[in-house]
Amino acid sequence: MTDFPKLTYEALTVGEEFVSDTHLVTPEDIEAYAFAVDDHQDLFTDPSAAGGQVAHPTLMANQALHLRHSKYIVHAGLHAKMEFNFIEPVRPGMRVRSRGRVIDKYEKRGRQYMVTEYVTEDERGTALVRGQFTQMLIPEGTRHAGR
Amino acid sequence: MPVADAVAVGQELPSLQKDLSQRRIDVYSGVRPRSIHTDEAWAHAKGFRTTLAQGMMSTAYASELMTRLLGKSFLAGGTLSMAFIRPVYAGDRLTVHGLIKETRREGARTRVVVEVWCENQHGEKTAAGTASGLTP
Repeated sequence: MTDFPKLTYEALTVGEEFVSDTHLVTPEDIEAYAFAVDDHQDLFTDPSAAGGQVAHPTLMANQALHLRHSKYIVHAGLHAKMEFNFIEPVRPGMRVRSRGRVIDKYEKRGRQYMVTEYVTEDERGTALVRGQFTQMLIPEGTRHAGR
Repeated sequence: MPVADAVAVGQELPSLQKDLSQRRIDVYSGVRPRSIHTDEAWAHAKGFRTTLAQGMMSTAYASELMTRLLGKSFLAGGTLSMAFIRPVYAGDRLTVHGLIKETRREGARTRVVVEVWCENQHGEKTAAGTASGLTP
């Protein structure tokens, strides 16, 4: 059984690790993603594409981005930076999961940030995507000055 | 003509236009309450004028620029780094740009480095960064 404390800057520890559940990549996932980002290139949408159908390289990015939700209730946040290193294509039929580790947290101009490095792997542990991302925390009871 | 011979530093890639409808945002982010992406009242409560697209959607657009240039080669050996500069709201239209900054030999292939950025319908830059990938 997992407890889910609220995510606060103070609760977050540099070095703490996250792991996602495993997700089976389906053709429907790719179809939905193609609609969402309006990218219907044949290599993603045609099962008979040369070399086999592949997923958009950023398909599983939300699995990584949501890693902190595996341990915390996240009140609200904004995504500040994202880095990808694409190693192997994600393909339908793969079972993938992401693992991450908090490598930094800092405050800048009154705002709080966390930095996570991550890897997304297939069921054999083969790395498909590596990278890191920076997220801003919006503390409970506060508003972000939207522009 | 091989891609490596067809690209040149200073060359602009064909731009993309993306309409950020709420429906696309819903599919991308998954509809749930208390989300600044899909719950308008919650977005207002958090200080935004309406729901926001996830910044990550702009990485997908930059990625599309690269796969249109390099095909599947971008999926094994490609890199992408972007900073999200200002919110993208439901209803915005983004134009996605790419400019080749560098080409360099990497073994038998060529790595193409591209400056990428997105602008909204007001000409404001919403995201910017760098992508690179190997020629087929």
